[in-house]
Amino acid sequence: MIEFSHVYKNYDKNYILRDLNFTVNKGEFIFITGPSGAGKTTTLKMLIALESPSHGAVKFLGTELQGLKPRDIPFLRRKIGFVFQDFKLLPNRTVFQNVALGLEVSGIFGDVIIKNVSEILKAVELYTKKDEFPLSLSGGEQQRVAIARALVQNPQVLLADEPTGNLDEETSRIIIDIIKSFNNKGTTVMLATHDKNLIKMGRARVIDITKS
Amino acid sequence: MISQRVNYFANYFKIAALNIKSNISGNAFAFLIMSFSFFIMLFLLLCYINIYSYMSTFRKSNVMLVFLKNNAKKDNVLNFIGKLNGVKSTVYYSDKSSMKFLEKRVKHLKSILKNMNPDNLPAFIKINFKDNAVSGIFLSNIYLRLKSLKGVKLVYYNKMLQNRIVQFMFFTKVVGLILFLFLFILSIFISYSAIKLVILRKQGEIEILRLIGATNNYIRIPMFIEGEIGTVLSFLVSILLLFAIYKIFIFYKFDSFLEFFRIKIIFLNPQQIAVVFLIAIISGIAGTYLSSKKFF
Repeated sequence: MIEFSHVYKNYDKNYILRDLNFTVNKGEFIFITGPSGAGKTTTLKMLIALESPSHGAVKFLGTELQGLKPRDIPFLRRKIGFVFQDFKLLPNRTVFQNVALGLEVSGIFGDVIIKNVSEILKAVELYTKKDEFPLSLSGGEQQRVAIARALVQNPQVLLADEPTGNLDEETSRIIIDIIKSFNNKGTTVMLATHDKNLIKMGRARVIDITKS
Repeated sequence: MISQRVNYFANYFKIAALNIKSNISGNAFAFLIMSFSFFIMLFLLLCYINIYSYMSTFRKSNVMLVFLKNNAKKDNVLNFIGKLNGVKSTVYYSDKSSMKFLEKRVKHLKSILKNMNPDNLPAFIKINFKDNAVSGIFLSNIYLRLKSLKGVKLVYYNKMLQNRIVQFMFFTKVVGLILFLFLFILSIFISYSAIKLVILRKQGEIEILRLIGATNNYIRIPMFIEGEIGTVLSFLVSILLLFAIYKIFIFYKFDSFLEFFRIKIIFLNPQQIAVVFLIAIISGIAGTYLSSKKFF
């Protein structure tokens, strides 16, 4: 499903990634690990065409992403849910509206939005807080909203960049459990983290990009 | 498919409303300046239309009036006129008959003429030219010759006034066009600044929308709607303001005063309003396009 072959990324003479090779199969859960600055975020960003490799190829569902036209990038991103360390929620919109945004950009409106958003908010146990604004929620709750927004489009892949970076251990466990539950339903997950405890909790394949 | 497009547009309007709400002061400022520029545009057009309409009331005339100085020898002047080619007839009006002439011609000034001393009025000669002899060059040539004649105080003919109005019209056209162009660019710049402000304030939000799969159109169309809402509202306010001023000052305050000078002020017709409205719409679109182009 996802294939990185001989991927290099450099900014001038500074190489972030050197000859990165790995594949991810459909329905798999993998951890991408490495110290800060190793290129974990860059690796994930390449999958949503936010970064492009200096050399090598990144393929998603058999399509080489470097060859993608700018107008096709939004449609690629709708197939991939992205969860950020800093949540990236819109502070002037409620929990419900933030999650609904994921569907609205795809052209889904009305009753479908109400049904899908309600379902996903129940799954992340935030339905009762649907009318609250993100800033009134705890860090863990905000991250659950971000996960709900990423998953409401029913993406084929969920990318999570240090999703528990700002959270305590107990909350991190809840977040991992939620992500795992969606993985069990068939969503492929790539989670970037340097947290060894989280990797232990996840019990999944680990790609250490320090070696690349 | 159609219902999805309707939903898309409904959503664009919703986002535009949210954008306006989140930048209420910036939009209010832009709205005020745009209203002002559209008002000036409409006012200029109104002035031009009225000057043009006033000018069209002047008919082509073959008459020239030669006003004489006090104690001037009329026979010398009449002899000179008699030798001119193209003259159909001449009528001499003494200062006394000048009054009768005025009373007959400007009946609406009767109340003023009543208190006037006929001795203060000049004697004059009215010359009627043959139709085939009248041309701008011919009349201006005669005008210059008569003006230099001894005993002649003033020479007046309609064509001269007409020419002066044409010159004035040309001047107003040039100045109006420059002002119009300036205001058009100003309104583009205002739309540009208002939308640019929205983009700068919402850069984070735009980034998030892009990350979750929003197309450029999804982000830009609400901005165009926002720009156009501002433009349409500004235009409506300016046209209503101009109409209110027209109603108040022309019909209720200066109606009779202007009538005195045979000036009848007319308001812009729907086609003229539509042209300015179109210009306003284009300025809104251009401003939004230029401001958002830089970011996409």
